Amino acid sequence: MALQVYTASLLKEGLVAYLCLEDGLPSWTPEIGQATAMDDGSVESLKIAAEKSERDNIIVAPYAIDVVNSDGGWVAATKREQIRASGPTIVLPRDNAANASERAGRKAA
Amino acid sequence: MYQYSEQDHQLLLERVEQFRGQVQRRLKGQLSEDEFKQQRLRNGLYLQLHAYMLRVAIPYGLLSAEQMRTLAHIARKYDKGYGHFSTRQNIQYNWPQLEDVPDILDDLAAVEMHAIQTSGNCIRNTTSDPLAGVARDELEDPRPYCELIRQWSTFHPEFNFLPRKFKIAVSGAIHDRAAVAVHDIGLRLVNNAENETGFEIYVGGGLGRTPMIGKLIRDFLPKEDMLTYLEAILRVYNQLGRRDNLYKARIKILVHETGEDEFRALVEEEWQKIKATGLHLREQDIDRIKAFFVDPEYDDLPDTDREFENQILSNPDFARWADKNIELHKQSGYRVVYLSLKSAHQPPGDVTADQMDAIADLADKYSLSQIRTTHRQNLVLSDVKLQDLHALWLELKKLDLATPNYNHMTDIISCPGLDFCALATARSIPISQEITNRFDDYDFVNDLGDLSINISGCINACGHHHVANIGILGVNKKGTEVYQLTLGGSAREDASIGKIIGPAFEADQIVDAVSDVLTVYLDKREDPEETFLTTYRRIGQPPFKEKLYG
Repeated sequence: MALQVYTASLLKEGLVAYLCLEDGLPSWTPEIGQATAMDDGSVESLKIAAEKSERDNIIVAPYAIDVVNSDGGWVAATKREQIRASGPTIVLPRDNAANASERAGRKAA
Repeated sequence: MYQYSEQDHQLLLERVEQFRGQVQRRLKGQLSEDEFKQQRLRNGLYLQLHAYMLRVAIPYGLLSAEQMRTLAHIARKYDKGYGHFSTRQNIQYNWPQLEDVPDILDDLAAVEMHAIQTSGNCIRNTTSDPLAGVARDELEDPRPYCELIRQWSTFHPEFNFLPRKFKIAVSGAIHDRAAVAVHDIGLRLVNNAENETGFEIYVGGGLGRTPMIGKLIRDFLPKEDMLTYLEAILRVYNQLGRRDNLYKARIKILVHETGEDEFRALVEEEWQKIKATGLHLREQDIDRIKAFFVDPEYDDLPDTDREFENQILSNPDFARWADKNIELHKQSGYRVVYLSLKSAHQPPGDVTADQMDAIADLADKYSLSQIRTTHRQNLVLSDVKLQDLHALWLELKKLDLATPNYNHMTDIISCPGLDFCALATARSIPISQEITNRFDDYDFVNDLGDLSINISGCINACGHHHVANIGILGVNKKGTEVYQLTLGGSAREDASIGKIIGPAFEADQIVDAVSDVLTVYLDKREDPEETFLTTYRRIGQPPFKEKLYG
């Protein structure tokens, strides 16, 4: 039976997140491996929790994706979702470390 | 370049504050995502595969050095230290946070920039020739007309909810460097038999899943009628364009289904109604805008320079770069310089914040403080003195912006593809990088001559693969990325849509397939001067098919 996790984008940051459901309480993690996976018969509870997070303005556009178990964690079943989970497959352009200071300063502020 | 009026400034600031309020209400939950989505898209803000993406307009691809520094500042402060120049001469940031976007727009407004109408079903940024105003083959500078279109189309109430997005390009030269034929409306400045200058009007060009070359619906339109005629076209489209089917909503489908002659008649009929009472451009209206684009005071210089010639003779690397990345300028003693954003080290069109700052400094030092962006995702310094070329080259080399490949095979257009785009079905940047690395041999690339390769990561064709000599389209086939090859496209004055050569190739086969195509070309060309496109049009697909599929 296919296993699924729920994913969405965080409203404030726009970043990819995955739903963890513990004792009925939802939280969102950037790590797909830490997401709560359920089979077809139970995935409705993930959907309900994701929609609540959407109403609470934590996330945007939740949807379910198929996952497979790999080395004890979840891995997205499709290439699109694998890239979405792990980020661009290319090296991002970057300046040398010293020139990231403005960005770093902002993060610290 | 155009300088904002007090009213322009006020308009932008009010828009920023309006969007700031919308963002705050969204973050507090007072606006739903459905309600907010239309607002953010009107301000160029998408939600992409990994994060928000902000698209900033660069009207007709013209930037001041000060504006470039602000783009660098935004990349550094609010993003991951880089930006991506797109085929619409805009810049995109891939990682902004929602709450920062109003501040970004504020910073942009301070230098007369914005993200208005860079998304949504409205008239988008008008694009143009990156050599506008300096090209030797130019009849008239198209930028004043682009600016008039910009002012007319910005917040135009009648055209704010079109059936689909709408793209206009204007060119004033013999050679088309703005891909005029693949725009919803393309305008070309031409002379008529009486030697008056006006426009040829093309309508219904476009790429995407149904690529089409624009149809010439008027072979001469007086300049003063430009806005009323555009208005007539858009009115016909607004009334008759399909809103029931996203894939049939572009004007190219309307023109195709209505028929060229019938569509022309509809436009002419509408135009007759509004021609006398609409926005007729008086000569002084055009002259007022032209005043922002007058030639700078060029130095009186000879068109040869002994020192330059010596540097060419003594330095093969410099000679190669000068041969590929320099274009003649209308002014004696000056040259146009292409800054290649297609090195082997960065995705096509990407520029880091440090590079942006350095480019701004170089523009100040060598090119009258202006930079242009090109639809092939490169940059241009348009007014460089012949005597400064060597010094400029040395600085560009340090910045990795001097790859000698302009309009050659490693000057690849690539959309962001599945590495960034929520719509993409396959990756495009890694394929472009693999091609660039495989063919990182100046002599080979030089021998191939004028040749374009464009790559799209889905059928929406943001990488313009249909109009490349060699086009690559990534698609998803049963969970695997595969790549279709199209041959024979052109985005220039001889515009054509490439044809699919056969079944798609796996990701690990596509670069070999490109190599095979090049082998056939080299084998079949009649002489080294015969371009790939000429050879292809002469011999057709069979020899390529035979090599690729046996």
